[in-house]
Amino acid sequence: METNTETTEEVEEIDLAPAEEIINQLPDNSRGHLIPTLDKVQGIYRYLPDPVMEMLMEFFNIARAEIYGVISFYPQLRITEPGKYIIKLCYGTACFVKGAPIINDKIHEKYHIKPGETDAEKLFTLQTASCLGNCGAAPMAIIGDDTHGTIDPEKTYDILSEYKKDDEETPVTEEVG
Amino acid sequence: MSTVEKKILNVKINGEETTVPEGTVVLEVCKQNNVEVSNLCYNRKLKPFAACRTCMVETVVDGKKELVYSCTHPVAEGMEIRTATEETDRYNKACLEMLLVEHPLDCPICDKSGVCPLQDNTDLLQLYDGRFETQRRNEPSIKTNPIIEFYLNRCIMCGLCVRACDEIQGAKALDFHKRGMSVGIGTANDEPLDCEFCGQCITVCPTGALMDMTSGARGLAAMFTETHSTCNFCSWGCTVKLETKKGEVIRIEADENYNVGINEGNLCAKGRFGHGIIHNEQRIENPLMNVGGDFQEVTWDEALNTIADRMQATVNRSGPDSLAAIGSEKLTNEENYLLQKLFRETLGSNQLNNLANIRAPYLNQFMLNCFDNGISSKPITQLQEADVVLVFNSDLPSEYPVGGNSVRFGTVFNNTDILIANPRRVVFDSEAKVDVRMTFKHGSDLAVASRLAKIMIDNGLIDASKAKSSIANFDELVQSLSSYTADNTEKLTGLPDDVLTRAAERFARDADRFVLVGNDILDTGQGEEILNALLNLCTLVNFGSTGSVSIYPPREHCNSQGVNDMGLEPEFLPGYQPSKGEKGRDFFENCKDGTTKFLYIAGEDPVGSFYRPQLVTEALRTVPFLIVTDVYMTETAKMADLILPSSTYAEKDGTYTNMSRHVQAVTSAILPQGTSKPDFDILIELAEALGKPFQKSTLPEIQQEIEEAAPVYKGTFPGKDSKQWVPPKSDKKPEFKINPASNDAEAAQESFPFTLQTNNHMFHIGSYSQHAKALVDIGPECIAEIHPEDAKGLGVASGDQVVIESSSSKVQVKIKTTRVTSQGMVYVPKNWPEVPVNNLRNGEEGLVQVKVSKSG
Repeated sequence: METNTETTEEVEEIDLAPAEEIINQLPDNSRGHLIPTLDKVQGIYRYLPDPVMEMLMEFFNIARAEIYGVISFYPQLRITEPGKYIIKLCYGTACFVKGAPIINDKIHEKYHIKPGETDAEKLFTLQTASCLGNCGAAPMAIIGDDTHGTIDPEKTYDILSEYKKDDEETPVTEEVG
Repeated sequence: MSTVEKKILNVKINGEETTVPEGTVVLEVCKQNNVEVSNLCYNRKLKPFAACRTCMVETVVDGKKELVYSCTHPVAEGMEIRTATEETDRYNKACLEMLLVEHPLDCPICDKSGVCPLQDNTDLLQLYDGRFETQRRNEPSIKTNPIIEFYLNRCIMCGLCVRACDEIQGAKALDFHKRGMSVGIGTANDEPLDCEFCGQCITVCPTGALMDMTSGARGLAAMFTETHSTCNFCSWGCTVKLETKKGEVIRIEADENYNVGINEGNLCAKGRFGHGIIHNEQRIENPLMNVGGDFQEVTWDEALNTIADRMQATVNRSGPDSLAAIGSEKLTNEENYLLQKLFRETLGSNQLNNLANIRAPYLNQFMLNCFDNGISSKPITQLQEADVVLVFNSDLPSEYPVGGNSVRFGTVFNNTDILIANPRRVVFDSEAKVDVRMTFKHGSDLAVASRLAKIMIDNGLIDASKAKSSIANFDELVQSLSSYTADNTEKLTGLPDDVLTRAAERFARDADRFVLVGNDILDTGQGEEILNALLNLCTLVNFGSTGSVSIYPPREHCNSQGVNDMGLEPEFLPGYQPSKGEKGRDFFENCKDGTTKFLYIAGEDPVGSFYRPQLVTEALRTVPFLIVTDVYMTETAKMADLILPSSTYAEKDGTYTNMSRHVQAVTSAILPQGTSKPDFDILIELAEALGKPFQKSTLPEIQQEIEEAAPVYKGTFPGKDSKQWVPPKSDKKPEFKINPASNDAEAAQESFPFTLQTNNHMFHIGSYSQHAKALVDIGPECIAEIHPEDAKGLGVASGDQVVIESSSSKVQVKIKTTRVTSQGMVYVPKNWPEVPVNNLRNGEEGLVQVKVSKSG
C-alpha cells in the first residue's frame, strides 16, 4: 500500500525544513489543524509539494486519498507549482461586459494558457475570479500583489510585459479564502 | 456476545410489536422485521452516513411525531415507526428522482442489473415518470488498474465504497474528490488504484459504478446462476457466491445477506479474483503415466487398474504399512475420509499423514489441550463482538484478511481492544481506541507470551487463588515463568515492560477474548513451546478471570483443520480417536530409506511447499511408485509415476472445516472440466478397481459415516449453515503445559546477520493462486522487504535485485525498503516458484540466518 512504502526518489529537491517547522509547532495531530496547515505550507512553497504531503499524511495519520480529497475540494489549494505571478482576472458581470473575455483571449494568444494553467516559462498562472469587488474599475485584474483597474484590453500585453521572470520581487503568497 | 449487555427496547413497526437492543438504528429494525424501506447508502457493516436521503420514516415517541432518516436514527423505548406514509414517500421520491436525473439507464450492460438497489428502490417507490429532464454524464470509464473498473457515470455518491475501504478494509484507497457538481469518488490525484484489492467496494456499490474486470461476462448479473460454496484458499472459510453462465464460472461475489457463512459478505483478493484457477489451459487434462521419463496420456480405466494392481502387489510383497498416503489440506472432508478409509480399512495401512501434521504434530495436541482446559472456543462469527483480540504473530491482512474485517467491525461497533504481537510492524488500521503494538525481536515469541502470563500473576490481574485451586500445577507454572522478569524479557524481546503490562491488563480484565495465532510461529523452531505458553495464558484467564476466551490453532489452508479431523495422521482416527496402528517414524525419512514402497499424494505439492524440500525430493525419488492427484502440474506431480487430474472446488461437493471448526458446504457450480474427476470419485472408483468397493458411495452416505466415526461432526452436515463442531466436555483435569527452561534465541551469526521471515502474501497462497491471471496481475512478482536503515548499510534501494543467501542455498529477489519490517530482518513472501524461499530453510528448525547482498 502506498502509505507504507518509502519514497526513495524525490522528483525534485525540496527543502523540507520549513514544513517540519510548521508541523513541530502544531499542538496535536487532530484533523482540525489540517486545512490551516495546508494553507501555511502553500504559503511557503506556493503549492503543496508531494514530499510535504507525505509528511502530513504521517503526522495526521491520514491516507493519501483523504488528504488529496481535501486538497481537491478547495480550488485555492494547488498541487503543482504556479507561475511566478498569479493573474486573477475578474469575471464579474461588470468586468465581463467591459472586456474581461478579450483580456482572457489575449493572454491565451500570447502565453497559451487557459484559466487554471501556467505558461511554459512558469511566469504566469491564470485564474478567473467571480467578482473581486472593484466593479467601479472594471475590467480589473490582480497580478501578483498589484491591482490593475480600468484595463484597456488592447493594452494587456503592455501591462504583462512589466512582469519578468528575473524580477527581484518577492514571490506571491495568498490565503485560502 | 460481548460482555457489555445492551438494554432491550420495545418498539412498534407499522403496528407490529417487536423488541430490539438499544442503539440499533430504525432502518436495521425494519430490515430485520422484513419491512421494506427505500435506502441506498445503508450497510449494516458500516457506520451510519445518511448520504442518499431516501430512507425517511415517521416515528412517534411519547405522542411526538418526527420525520427521521431511518439509517442514522436510533430506536427509543416505546417508539412507533411508520414506513411508506404519503409524506415520507413524497420526500424519499423527490431525492431519488434527483439521483435519476444523472443516472445512465444502461441497465442491459450493467453488472448490477436485476440486483440493483437503485432499480429496486425506483420500483418500491413506484417512481416511473420523473419530473426532471435527464442530464446524463458521459465520462469514459477508468481502467488504470488490472481488476476494478470505475464507471463513474453510474455513481450516486452514496459513499459506500469509500466507507467500506476505510472501515471494513482499513485501506483508505478511495475518497471523495472535488466538490459540488463535479464531485466524484476516486484515488488521490486519479493515480492508478494500488490497494489490497479485496473488492469490498464492488460488493457494496449499489449501482455498478465499480465493476469486476475479471468477470467473464458483462451485464445482467441477475441472469447468472448463483451457487454458494466455500472458498478454497486460506483457512478462514469464507462463503463465496460462484456465479456461472452457460456452464462456466464467470465471477465470484460475496453474499451480504444475514446468516450466510461466517464472513458477513466480506472477501479478499484471493477469494474473489482467484477464479482464474477454474477454467485454465494449464490444467492437467488426462491421466498421465510416466513412461521412461515421458508422461503419456492414458485412460482412466488403465490408470486406476494400474494403481489397484500395484497397491495389491505392494501389500502382498511388503505388507500394508509399506503403502502410505498424504491427505490434503485442500481436499474436502469427505475425500480425506475416503482416503483414510481406503488405506486403513481396505489396505490395512496406518501410514497416513498431512503436511501440516508431519511438520507440527503438536498443533492437534494443542487443540486437544485447549479442550481439556475447558477452552472450546466460540464460533468465529462472534469475533466481531469480542472485547479484546490478541493477534499473535499473524500479519492479519495477509494471513486472514477477512478475519481482519471482523476485527475492524468490532473496533467500530463494539469497542474491541486490539493487541498485536509481531516481529514486524504489521499494518493494521482500525478504529480501535486501545491498540497495543508489541513489536518484538524476531524469534522472541515465547518470551512475550510467557511474560504476559507472569505479569497477570504478579500484578494480581487475575484471581491467582482461584486459578490455583482449579489447576494442580499452578505453582509449577509460576516457577517456570520466574526467569521472565521485566529486565530479562526486555533484553530478549526489546519490548519495554509497560507495553506488555498494558496488554496484559486489557487481556486479563472481564472480557470476551479471542486469540488468533499466525502460522509464522512454526518457523521459529519453538512452535510447541509458544503454543504451550499461549495455552497457559488463556487457561489463566479462563480460570482466574471472568468472561470467555477463544483460541484456535494456526491452520494454513482451506481444510487444514478438516484433514486432521478426518484422521489423516498416524496418531488419530477420525474425530481424534487414538489409532492403534503402526505410527511409523518420520514420514519422508520412511520414504527415503525405502520403507515406503507406494505413496499416494492427494492434491499436495510437498516439493514446492514443505519446509524440507531437499528431503522431500530425495524421498519421492526413492519411493518405487508415486501417485499424485492434482489440478495442475506441480513440481511434485512431475516426479510421479502416475498423475490423475482432479477437479477444482467449483466442480465438486462436500465440506471444508475452517480453522475455527465450522463445517461448511462446498457445492459444485459447474461440471468437472475435461476428463478431470473430483478426488471423491477417484477414490470410490479406485476401491472398485481393487475389487473391494465401498459399501456406501454417495455423499450423504459418506457424511453419515463420518458422523458415526467422528461424533463431533454430528449435525454439522451438509454444512449449509456453517455450524461449528463442538468437542464433548472433557473429563480430564485442566493443567498448564510447562515449558522446559528455555534456550533463548541465538545471537545472529556475523556471516549471516539477518533473520528470515516468510509467510503467505496477501494475493497468493498455496500452489494454485499463481495460475489465476488476476492474482498474477496484481501480485506479479515476489518482492522482499527490508528496513531502510539496513538497506542503506547494504547500499541497496527499493527496486534493486538482491541475493539472499543462507548456509544451504540462495535466491535472487527484488527488494523494497519499508519500516514495516524491523531492522535485522528480511521478509520474503513464499508464494512465487521463481523465488523458492523454502530452499533457504531446507529443513532447519528455528530462525533461518541469511545474508543479503546486491545482485550483479
